[in-house]
Amino acid sequence: MWELIQSNKRKSLILFLAMGIILLLLGYFIGGMFLGTNGGGELGVFFALLIWAVVSLVSYFAGSSIMLSVSRAKEVTKEVHPQLFNIVEEMKIASALPKIPKIFIINEEAPNAFATGRSPENCAVTVTAGLLSRLNRDELQGVIAHEMSHIKNRDILYMTFAGVMLGTIVIVSEVFLRGLWFGGGSLNRYKNRSSGGGSGQAVIAIAALVLAILAPILARLLYFAISRKREYLADASGVRLTRYPEGLASALEKLADNRLDLRAANKATAGMYIVNPLKKKGMKLSDLTSTHPPISERVRILRNMSQGAGYMDYQNAYMKVKHKTERLIPNSVLDSNEKVTIRDTSVSKETIDKKNYRRNLGDLVMNVNGYSFVHCVCGLTLKIPPTYKKSEIKCPRCGRINKVPPRNKL
Amino acid sequence: MNCPHRKNPMIVLELANVETDYCPNCEGIWLDSGELELLIEDSSVKDELLNFFISDKQIKEKAIRCPICRTKMEKVYVGKEEKVIIDECKHGHGLWFDKGEILEVIEMGSLNKENEIVKLLMEMYSHKISPNKKEEG
Repeated sequence: MWELIQSNKRKSLILFLAMGIILLLLGYFIGGMFLGTNGGGELGVFFALLIWAVVSLVSYFAGSSIMLSVSRAKEVTKEVHPQLFNIVEEMKIASALPKIPKIFIINEEAPNAFATGRSPENCAVTVTAGLLSRLNRDELQGVIAHEMSHIKNRDILYMTFAGVMLGTIVIVSEVFLRGLWFGGGSLNRYKNRSSGGGSGQAVIAIAALVLAILAPILARLLYFAISRKREYLADASGVRLTRYPEGLASALEKLADNRLDLRAANKATAGMYIVNPLKKKGMKLSDLTSTHPPISERVRILRNMSQGAGYMDYQNAYMKVKHKTERLIPNSVLDSNEKVTIRDTSVSKETIDKKNYRRNLGDLVMNVNGYSFVHCVCGLTLKIPPTYKKSEIKCPRCGRINKVPPRNKL
Repeated sequence: MNCPHRKNPMIVLELANVETDYCPNCEGIWLDSGELELLIEDSSVKDELLNFFISDKQIKEKAIRCPICRTKMEKVYVGKEEKVIIDECKHGHGLWFDKGEILEVIEMGSLNKENEIVKLLMEMYSHKISPNKKEEG
């Protein structure tokens, strides 16, 4: 396992460094263009690094709490959803994480999940209510194992930094291009100001311009390439933990079926989720610019794992489905003797009352959010948010006036 | 969730395991399509309800925003001579009925009253249905 993380780190580091170089070049040329060739480039590099460092520090220390509050996730206790806790504990043991991650629920219909945190000691798994209501135990286990693999493989920290670097590149080039546009600045102005520059300065100016246009595009492609590879890897390690590829496969299928957008997600956080939470209707996202590999492909790989659930089996299925000889997992990690047998499904043909289950879950989430419940004599239940200030409410079914009980303060 | 008109908090009503959102202030009703999708297994029942309304860009009623995605909702109508205009989210999040509109739509009679959702809605907001009927009779 550790070796996989290592080789993972190495490959991602290369892509990461490539992004870093783009950022530095951008800083160098913009600096050189505005401040002249004597020391200007270095100053530009310094500022580019400074911006990156500040944003990185913020996201390192506050990243996961920002992410959780932006997505309006609520931490839950074991009583709220024992099964979810049970699965997380089980996967914690299987993956040998040092601590049980915190568990959060987002009260939304769109099924999705993500993991956050800067280290395995300090992390959280978040799922939506829609996910819990749609998946059975095996499927939920598959999703949780995938998320825990992100934690285990240190993907989160890494994607945060890569994301921040992408953001910095985009901001620097945007500010530069817009400044050029609105400043009415012709390139000549800067050229003339520098004393001995001449044609060398013009070259730098043009290079800065070209770079400012190309850098965000290049950085995005690199970022997406990293992100997609990590999704496959998390699938592979997740399945190895559960020994049940079909669980994750059918969960992914259910997630793909969903037509609801996740309200709590935006472009910046989309990459964190197990499946892309934002769908564009009638538009097939091109492979290059997607944070996630196509779900159908992930499912096909999982379904092709007929021999076992180890890394080797995932690798073989991956190469078969993608018709590629390129290896996802380096040979040094693959132990051809490793036998991870696929287990049987743990779900007996359960007949849970879906409506009831969904309702109970929804009620629990509302409870956590400080709603109070009024049961009118006529049979209607009124669920009142903490923001409702009056002490009485009229039942729309029978017209009775009901008292609103005092709310627990949040 | 907040009411699209005055941003007052809406309360959630539950009857027979079905929830709707209701604004106690303006008495408007929000029908969430995610909720409908989950609760009514037969998706044709839901589609029947959602496709029942006809979009019309000519209607000049003040646009309100979807309580979920906050984009402006589309005006849709039902009925041939006397139109009832309601609001539908362009992104398929749900339908908004102003005060009394849901009853007008149901009483127009063209909606299939055997439709599970329609039945439940009539039941849930029956307090307002009965006084109307008394006036007629």
